[in-house]
Amino acid sequence: MGEVNRRRFLERMTALTATAVAAPATLGAISNAGSRFPGATGAGSRAVAGRPDELNLPPAGRPQPADLTELTLAEAARLLRDGDVGAVELVEAYLARIGRWDLRYQAFNTVVSQAALEAARTADRTRGRAPLTGVPLAIKDNYFTAGVRTTANSFIFEDFVPDFDATSWARLRDAGAILLGKTQMGPLATTAASTPTGERTTVNAWAPHHDNVSPGGSSSGSATAVAARMAASSTGTQTGGSITNPSNAQGLTGIKPTMGRVSLQGILPLTYTRDHPGPLARDAVDAALMLQIMAGPDPADPRSLGLPPVPDYLGAVREDDGALTHPERGGAVRIGVLPGFLDEPEPPEDPGPDPDPDVDRIGSSFPRRERTQAAYRRDVATVEARRRMLATLEEMGAELVELDFPTHWETLTSFNFNNVRLPERSEIFLEHLRDDVRKFGVSLAPWINGLLLPAAEYVRGSRARLVLLREILDEVFGRCDLVTQTAPFPFDMVGLPLIGFPIGFETGSTGYPRPIGGMFGAEPYAEHHLLAVIAAYQRATDWHLRRPADPGELRPAEGDGGGPRGGADGSAGRDRSPGRYDLFDVMERGE
Amino acid sequence: MARRPTPPRSVTSSQEVTDEQLDAHVRTRLALLGVDLSVLPADDEEAPADQRRIMASARRFLRSTPEAIADFELDPMGPAPAIYPAEVSARNRG
Repeated sequence: MGEVNRRRFLERMTALTATAVAAPATLGAISNAGSRFPGATGAGSRAVAGRPDELNLPPAGRPQPADLTELTLAEAARLLRDGDVGAVELVEAYLARIGRWDLRYQAFNTVVSQAALEAARTADRTRGRAPLTGVPLAIKDNYFTAGVRTTANSFIFEDFVPDFDATSWARLRDAGAILLGKTQMGPLATTAASTPTGERTTVNAWAPHHDNVSPGGSSSGSATAVAARMAASSTGTQTGGSITNPSNAQGLTGIKPTMGRVSLQGILPLTYTRDHPGPLARDAVDAALMLQIMAGPDPADPRSLGLPPVPDYLGAVREDDGALTHPERGGAVRIGVLPGFLDEPEPPEDPGPDPDPDVDRIGSSFPRRERTQAAYRRDVATVEARRRMLATLEEMGAELVELDFPTHWETLTSFNFNNVRLPERSEIFLEHLRDDVRKFGVSLAPWINGLLLPAAEYVRGSRARLVLLREILDEVFGRCDLVTQTAPFPFDMVGLPLIGFPIGFETGSTGYPRPIGGMFGAEPYAEHHLLAVIAAYQRATDWHLRRPADPGELRPAEGDGGGPRGGADGSAGRDRSPGRYDLFDVMERGE
Repeated sequence: MARRPTPPRSVTSSQEVTDEQLDAHVRTRLALLGVDLSVLPADDEEAPADQRRIMASARRFLRSTPEAIADFELDPMGPAPAIYPAEVSARNRG
């Protein structure tokens, strides 16, 4: 597949131009809801979910855990449906964990305790048939939530309260889900979570006492909330890795769907062409359940219209589906392995002593030498985990296909071509840039750079994305069904789906277990293939079942940086001394 | 369709443009748009953003990105721009 017929391609340009023109009207929904953001109404945002009550939840797979917050989303939904657990009971369990630990994790911007409990009481009273009836979720703070502050963690939207729900959240709500709260994120969906002025906030649930271990971004709070068992699942957005990176950083399964598969209506935009909403979940089955409900056409978002029908994701992750056989072509699923995926990292050169230890520690937990060695140990462990993962999949029947990079991969996935997105974000926020650049806090520079890329280069960069896509379709997916990825940007640039999932752990960098993630990409709208293979992989492994210890059970190591530790049980944390992310985890930050 | 990148033909490459020329370009462009950097501190490492770092970032951007993109030559009969590539491919299957 993948050959773009030139005549039909040109015919489609008319429709796509219409789409591009329509997009600002989508954004326009913001300002009538009281923001200073310019625009129109949110009338088109009503949920257009199909018939979620008909979804077939997966069968039970293990005994019910004593702690309800240990339940996966699918398990919780089934127990609630069968009356074995009450929604109030479940919401109270999550609120108790949030109350006890979120001062340390800082995963939430807003927690709506009373509204969540009231919704839970209603769910218990009415015993609705919708598949997520009574299930508590955490929603990233760039999704509109009617009546609940939606800030995108930015000065620009700090007082913004939308009067309608984002379509994808409305679908989840209509499926019975309960909003627990809004999750902390990188300012305006850039970088890992920090205050708009750059002070770190959310920590990685696996290293809550190590401020320099990135939680992944920008959906940092969404990942920490799920990993720390403060929500059953969560939503994120990805423009440059913001679902898959935090999923990898915190042992979760997150899927970034193909452009248009999930409506962007009612989500504060970072770019029009690369933002993708999707779930962060505990495993592939939960991700499939979330995506099944979030996905589908939305008249308010032209990008979601005219696409192939939404597949049966829940069917794809069922155990009896022979997941490592390609469902349409037959035969073994072919997994493409790109060059470098299994290359041993080179031992690092000695970076020398810290020039001024006092200065260096402002932005870093570790001295430079220790940091370099920790990164190397993590790279070594990552390659070993990738080898094990591929060997497991091969034993399960997958065929591994060694690939070369597509012809212009190196050039077209470079930093410079990735920058083609920048004028889009600058255009979206142009009025705010003209009003006061200080509103952009620590992340101002790319917004200014976006104003400096001439239109000719923007158009050429947009054309080049078509070259990249065609080469990926022909030279990669002409030979395989799924392909390994080491960075999210290439597939983010062309709108192809990605899944992030846990493939191992290492302890070298913090002294505590820390997840290692893998990432696969697929053809347009082949999310069901990604989910099927990863669900099968997770039936053969247990990485996705591991949970981080509570902060009180982890003793911070002597001299590990990151500021005061709060009380003896590790629960307090607002008094962590501020600091900024350094380059240690730069590839895990995303946007 | 795509040709391999070729060396720039311009007499002056972006590497030869001086900081002063780039600064003038950036400030002129921002002034034409009505974007004012002077509200930022001139040079303050502790501030979330300052003029020195923003201008340095802009110079790095201008010295790399526009030229790299311009150097990637495309056949005029090659792909028309499509801002949603994955959707284009799905809508043109078969």
